[in-house]
Amino acid sequence: MTEPAAIVCHNLSKSFGPVRAVESVSFRLERGHFLALLGPSGCGKTTVLRMIAGLETPDAGTIELAGRVVDGGGASMPPHHRRVGLVFQDYALFPHLTVAENIAYGLGRGTERQARVATLLSLVGLTGYEARYPRELSGGQQQRVALARALAPQPDLLLLDEPFSNLDVALRTQVREDVRQIILEAGVSAILVTHDQDEAMSLADCIAVMFAGRIHQIGTARALYEAPVSRQVAQFLGEANVLPGDARSHSVSTALGELPLRAAPLHGPVDVLLRPEAIDLSADGAGTAARVQRAVYHGSHQAVWVTLADGTPLKVLTGPEVDWLPGAPVRVQVRGEVLAFPRADG
Amino acid sequence: MIRTLPRSTPISRLLLAVTIPLALALLLPTVYLALRAAQVPSGDALSYLTRAGTLRVIGRSLLLVGAVSLSAAAIGIPAAWLTVRTDLRARRLWTVVLTVPLVIPSYVFALALVGALGQRGFVQGWLAPLGVERLPSIYGFWGAWLAITLLSYPYVFLSVRAGLKGLDPALEEASRTLGRSGWETFRRITLRQLMPSITAGVLLVALYTLSDFGAVAIMQYNVFTRAIYLRLSLDLGLAALLSIVLVALSVGILVLAHITEPRGSHYTQRSARVPRRVTLGRWQGAAQAFLALIALGALIAPLGVLSYWLVNGLQHGETVNSVLAPLQRSIRAAALAALAAGILALPFVILQVRYPSRLSHALAQGAYLGYALPGVVVGLAFVFLGAKALGALNQTFGLSDYRSLGLLVFAYVVRFLPQAIGPARAGLLQVNPHLEESALTLGRSRPRVFLSVTLPLMRPGVIAGVALVFLTAMKELPITLLLAPTGYTTLATQIWSASSEAFYARAAAPALVLVLISALSLVYILDSDD
Amino acid sequence: MVRVRHTIASLLLVIALASIVIPIPPSNNGEHLLDAAEAQGTSLTVYSGRSENLVGPIIEQFEKDTGIEIEVRYGDTTSLALALVEEGRNTPADVFFSQDAGALGLLTNADLLTPLPAYILDSVDPRFRDPNGTWVGITGRARVVAYNTDALSEEDLPETLFGFTDPAWRGRIGFVPTNASFLAHLTAIRVVEGDDAAREFVEGLIANQALEYERNPAAVAGVAAGEVDAALVNHYYLFRLLAENPDAPVANYYFPGDDIGNLINVAGVGILSASDAKPLAQQFIAYLLSRTAQQYFAEETFEYPLLIGFPADPRLKPLDEIETPEINLSDLDDLQGTLDLLDSLLTQ
Repeated sequence: MTEPAAIVCHNLSKSFGPVRAVESVSFRLERGHFLALLGPSGCGKTTVLRMIAGLETPDAGTIELAGRVVDGGGASMPPHHRRVGLVFQDYALFPHLTVAENIAYGLGRGTERQARVATLLSLVGLTGYEARYPRELSGGQQQRVALARALAPQPDLLLLDEPFSNLDVALRTQVREDVRQIILEAGVSAILVTHDQDEAMSLADCIAVMFAGRIHQIGTARALYEAPVSRQVAQFLGEANVLPGDARSHSVSTALGELPLRAAPLHGPVDVLLRPEAIDLSADGAGTAARVQRAVYHGSHQAVWVTLADGTPLKVLTGPEVDWLPGAPVRVQVRGEVLAFPRADG
Repeated sequence: MIRTLPRSTPISRLLLAVTIPLALALLLPTVYLALRAAQVPSGDALSYLTRAGTLRVIGRSLLLVGAVSLSAAAIGIPAAWLTVRTDLRARRLWTVVLTVPLVIPSYVFALALVGALGQRGFVQGWLAPLGVERLPSIYGFWGAWLAITLLSYPYVFLSVRAGLKGLDPALEEASRTLGRSGWETFRRITLRQLMPSITAGVLLVALYTLSDFGAVAIMQYNVFTRAIYLRLSLDLGLAALLSIVLVALSVGILVLAHITEPRGSHYTQRSARVPRRVTLGRWQGAAQAFLALIALGALIAPLGVLSYWLVNGLQHGETVNSVLAPLQRSIRAAALAALAAGILALPFVILQVRYPSRLSHALAQGAYLGYALPGVVVGLAFVFLGAKALGALNQTFGLSDYRSLGLLVFAYVVRFLPQAIGPARAGLLQVNPHLEESALTLGRSRPRVFLSVTLPLMRPGVIAGVALVFLTAMKELPITLLLAPTGYTTLATQIWSASSEAFYARAAAPALVLVLISALSLVYILDSDD
Repeated sequence: MVRVRHTIASLLLVIALASIVIPIPPSNNGEHLLDAAEAQGTSLTVYSGRSENLVGPIIEQFEKDTGIEIEVRYGDTTSLALALVEEGRNTPADVFFSQDAGALGLLTNADLLTPLPAYILDSVDPRFRDPNGTWVGITGRARVVAYNTDALSEEDLPETLFGFTDPAWRGRIGFVPTNASFLAHLTAIRVVEGDDAAREFVEGLIANQALEYERNPAAVAGVAAGEVDAALVNHYYLFRLLAENPDAPVANYYFPGDDIGNLINVAGVGILSASDAKPLAQQFIAYLLSRTAQQYFAEETFEYPLLIGFPADPRLKPLDEIETPEINLSDLDDLQGTLDLLDSLLTQ
């Protein structure tokens, strides 16, 4: 009775010449869910997407779409049989076809064509644009047409490759919301590829963080933020100050004092990661002595850069009430447990 | 990192299955040359090749190629820039006028040039009252250089125009804001970005110069160019040897071109922004004069001379033969060749752009080898092969002659295929691969995607290639003389026949008709925004 | 503008399609009758290096008079000769009509021609045919010196061709170095007198600042205008000039004795050994040597009709009064050497 997962990838690997683009990537996405592949440029996330679409063939590993094996065991199903929708970063709308013809491209012949096109146009909010050509549309409009086109043949899985990078920053948040709504209403499973953590966090149920071809961690936004398994994950999601320390089982001694460790017991030299919002500032009182370098007022909060006595810089996110002036003495205290990772020996 | 073989998919295997036999067919003339040259005893061959006479010939050919390349670029690049990037008045008209020399056959052009600038030609006639008895001889190097330059600069002109239109103005604007002058910007930024277009155009000019015998023969650039060697020299083996040197020269040119344009298979997005036009201001007059001078030499002079001959000849009682049947034959053969070339170019181009590999590039570039061969060599190669095949076919089919329209069209295709490949490739390069990939994910198979997305978007490039082959085949002479079915007189052979007997009106009539019909095909070559 | 483009594009498309699809009316060459004729064995294929304008009418006449269909392939003499060599035994051609003897020599030396019957060979003086009878001349083209009659008389002219290298002739002669007939003449000099003599001859001309003309008519016009006193050309150019300008002060001079300067080159025919219509071919050649055809050629071109006893234009010096050098015209096929020689001497 259980429905097959939208997609299951197992041990995917792909090399281009001497370059290992993707290495042993595995994950699973249930039907109706939204996964984000998050990572810096060149981490292999787009390659994974292209393999799912069938545009690249994996060197090793398997891919199952809606229960059918499409890659693996020597066989590879060609892209046009996979029932996977793809939205490119540059939208890739057919310039020689109208909006309606673009959307209808993946639909078979039949009387339902027009009705389906109309449905999709209203889904993306572009009713009335049927006869326009892509060159007459704005970036945001083109993206919505691309989305409608990909959704038209009712794919099992929708793939989005950095779909918002070509938009003006001002538009992005709103468009992101619109797209999330559309995908939700369409009820389709989706995988988003992005380097923007905000995007990943606001759109996806589940995030897989990739570096250098490998997945470091998969989980909810909260799990990744609060319990990152590697330094890179910790530094990629949110900001982190790095402080050297000496770990003794469940606590670590640092320039800011003895701090409770979060994860499994650690020993020896470590790098401690402090979230800026987990540091409290006070004019006097408990805490380590430091000096304010700079404070930037953001209305709802402040970003304050301080330097410790030994010269270590720290970035702190704190409330807006106190007007921190450069050069002022300040007391720094860490709230809660801290993350630490064994120091990479140089 | 470039692969040796294209990545293996059913489509790429199919493409290879089509292009490899085609490429072998294109190599037939070269194989024929090798066969003939091999008959020369190696001692003789070596001494022949290193003899002063031969070295002189090679040297003069290279000199001509170099000089023409320079002058064709010196005309084509500024003319392209003026018509695309400035506020030149009557831009559209100039574009058409400057492209027309493409349709004039070189032998007609040279004849007209001699008629105009010969020792006792028109210009001398006009200058006679001033005491000019005879002009310095137009024959020789300068005549050949002038004729071929004026005939071939359109290749550079059209190529650079296309390049200019695809440039991103942001780079130039950035350069200007950084304080560099217009000229410096042009030199450092624009020219550098234009290198691929310039190279492509100059490549065609260089290969054309090597192969063109019409102009060189009539200009009698030292009788002793290979052209006359092949026409008057009665030793096939030695002529073949010399032709092989020609092939080597053209390979050298191709390699040179490849070095300056290593990345030929990447999609580059065409800039949507149109750059500001440069105001010519007081240079408007000078620009117009420069272009007028070119038009005078390349277009007005030849057409004027032809018209004069026609009128003068008729007045003197010369009769003009009907051009209707030859016209139809010319168009039939040229149109069939153009269609065939347009279709056959596609597999080469698709391999090169979508499945790049050393093999893909080699196949596409191999097609250019035949382009540098003189038409008479290609013709003789097919005579040889046709006759051999006839021996075999005669038993089965009872044919009396191997010549047929089909063989003629095939020979045209072998000779002119590169002209279809270039523009088709440019067209495909402008098709974003994401479009094809989107279409695939939307459920269409690769052949359907090609027909519904790729081909419609490539169409302007493909059609430009077809038109180019058409107008070149229309004016083709040496292959036609050798291979056309007996009695299949085309406009080109009609012109040749009349002019070799000095019946100038009889030559002028078909020449003018040829130029007119071919000029119509220019409409497919020039962009819609011209 | 767009409308114009579309109209032109459509027009061209229509023309192209029409040309491909509409059958072409048969040409004068009578292709449509050819299949029947071929089946009956009453057709001939001729490769002609002489132009259609010249040869067409006489061939038509032959077809009318004999009922034999002829298919003619017109082209450049050398290209056709090379094509015949390439075709070998599979050639569709029966007869080769050449503009000059060199091409015929090439075919003879390649063993592609079959000896002609005696009755044909005997109609022509032995000096105008191949010694082994593989080809026969139809008309002759004599090398002469065209001279200005106002400036010179015959006595002033040298007795041998080499006399023009004498410094006395500085600045007074012209020649046409790129012309095929001159090249053939130079080849003849090489064959008869040797390479060195040929080289010295050209060097002598150059030293004498001989005027290099581009084409024969220009050279003769130059003589008439007094630019030069004499020029080395073919005999018939004089008559073409006189046809336009009857009072021009120009005449032809022939050297006394069998000087090499008196070379007479021929336009001739041969039968391909691979031909399967040899009797018809012989008929054709015999026709070319008939009075009708010889008259025609004489009137059209002012060349020498080579049928023995047939009178040429009265203004021409009679053929049997010209002493020609001893040479086998078939040996004129070595153009390569001549080209090299000139190449090294002339600067251009």
